[in-house]
Amino acid sequence: MSQPIKCSLCEEAATVHLSQVVHGNVTKVHLCEACAQKGGATDPAVFQLADALTTASPAPTLTCPKCGFSDIDFRKRGRLGCPDCWETFGDALGGLLLKVQHEASHVGRAPAGTLPAGQLRRRLNDARVEMEKAITSEDYEAAARLRDEIASLEQQLAHS
Amino acid sequence: MSSVEDILAAENELTHLLGAQQAVVLSTRIRLARNLEGMPFPGWAKVPQRKEIADRCVEALDALPKFRRGHVLRMGELGDRDRAVLVERHLVSKELAAGKSGAAVISRDQTCSVMVNEEDHLRIQVVKAGWHLRGTWHIAEQLDDALGGTLKLAFSDRLGYLTACPTNVGTGLRASAMVHLPGLCLAGHMDKVSRALNQDGLAVRGWLGEGTEAAGNVFQISNQQTLGLSEEAILKHLGGWIKNVVEQEWNARRKLAQEEGEKFVDRLARSLGVLRSARLLTSSEAMNMLSHLRLACDMGCLPEERRHLVDRLMIEGQPAHVQARAGQELDSDGRDRRRAAVVREALKDFPEVVPPTA
Repeated sequence: MSQPIKCSLCEEAATVHLSQVVHGNVTKVHLCEACAQKGGATDPAVFQLADALTTASPAPTLTCPKCGFSDIDFRKRGRLGCPDCWETFGDALGGLLLKVQHEASHVGRAPAGTLPAGQLRRRLNDARVEMEKAITSEDYEAAARLRDEIASLEQQLAHS
Repeated sequence: MSSVEDILAAENELTHLLGAQQAVVLSTRIRLARNLEGMPFPGWAKVPQRKEIADRCVEALDALPKFRRGHVLRMGELGDRDRAVLVERHLVSKELAAGKSGAAVISRDQTCSVMVNEEDHLRIQVVKAGWHLRGTWHIAEQLDDALGGTLKLAFSDRLGYLTACPTNVGTGLRASAMVHLPGLCLAGHMDKVSRALNQDGLAVRGWLGEGTEAAGNVFQISNQQTLGLSEEAILKHLGGWIKNVVEQEWNARRKLAQEEGEKFVDRLARSLGVLRSARLLTSSEAMNMLSHLRLACDMGCLPEERRHLVDRLMIEGQPAHVQARAGQELDSDGRDRRRAAVVREALKDFPEVVPPTA
């Protein structure tokens, strides 16, 4: 008798078998009933995720120093252990990210007060121009506020 | 009175506010996934860590003006029915309700709810009745900024907001519209529309989200990609498609009404007839017939000012809501009987269905 196929997301026997054909490339995903129901077998993102997972190597090669999460855990769960895992698994996840997200880097918002370097520099330039204007128009209150902001931006840039 | 009873009793814009409802788009939703720096994600955290995460997040949320006089609900302290009510109202997800260490902080008007210890430490959600993408986004943005001011959020310059799942990293933004598409369903075009949306990076799901059926012709349409696009670009992409889907839905409705003539009106009138006299109503039967009544309100076959009542019945006709209203556990027949009674009572002074004006 042939070996039962295991679920791509856990170790259970797979009972749901999916094939997807995109531009002639066939991707097959095998899921147990629980994972198929939970993950929404119709969700294309799950499809791509499971695909990337099944092609990963079987032995743990990476472990997050912060939380002890390994690439084997990722294979089982499809979720990372902690924010620092992104540092550990960042390169390994690059291909998966491109598949799921079609892009590799963030261009959106940042937490208030921690603008990414590019935005920091832009804001710094703007603030310098605004401070010149404030001084010319003798608005010393605004100039002082901008001077503080510039100092803080310069400090953040030095640390980023 | 428990907090969940309080939520059920309160009049909020999704169920009560006259004038907030619109044709086709039931509601707009923004969700932001956020995490605390240096803490394991909930799925990997140990129980004491999850407790610390919950305490820190709840404390920060509770201090925000938006949640003044709101609700703090710890899932471990709620009964099964109360948790099911929250899921049916879309205030928490099934996943959050299933665990013991999750919490939800909900604003008094129920437009903002933050799930703590779901897949990510924080899932900020803002919901408005009707189609209000910008307004909904601005509320979420303000909440995000306020939270970022008190909590140190996990963020990387290159990858943006760091999340447990690679499908959320970057903006952590899931923007969606809950749309009612009886015209496209009746015309048999829904598969085609779904495919077009999927191919352009949007997900189409049923009424209760991932893996659920589209009861009552209600679908949730949302963005998939969260990385490499700005929030602005994500909103614009979704907004363009929703506008397009709404237009197609109206075309399908007008065409149906014109081609079917009396048959179209008959279908809507029959649904009103059944809802007004049935003694037993299953949940899916009620949803499908209420869908006809909503269509009738949109098309001028029933007065538009009755639409909010139809929306309320769609929400309050769900199993946990029916039992919560009855104040007791009911078996399937008991629920169907009770649901029928609630619907009959609500529709007893509805006028007759007339030919469409829209």
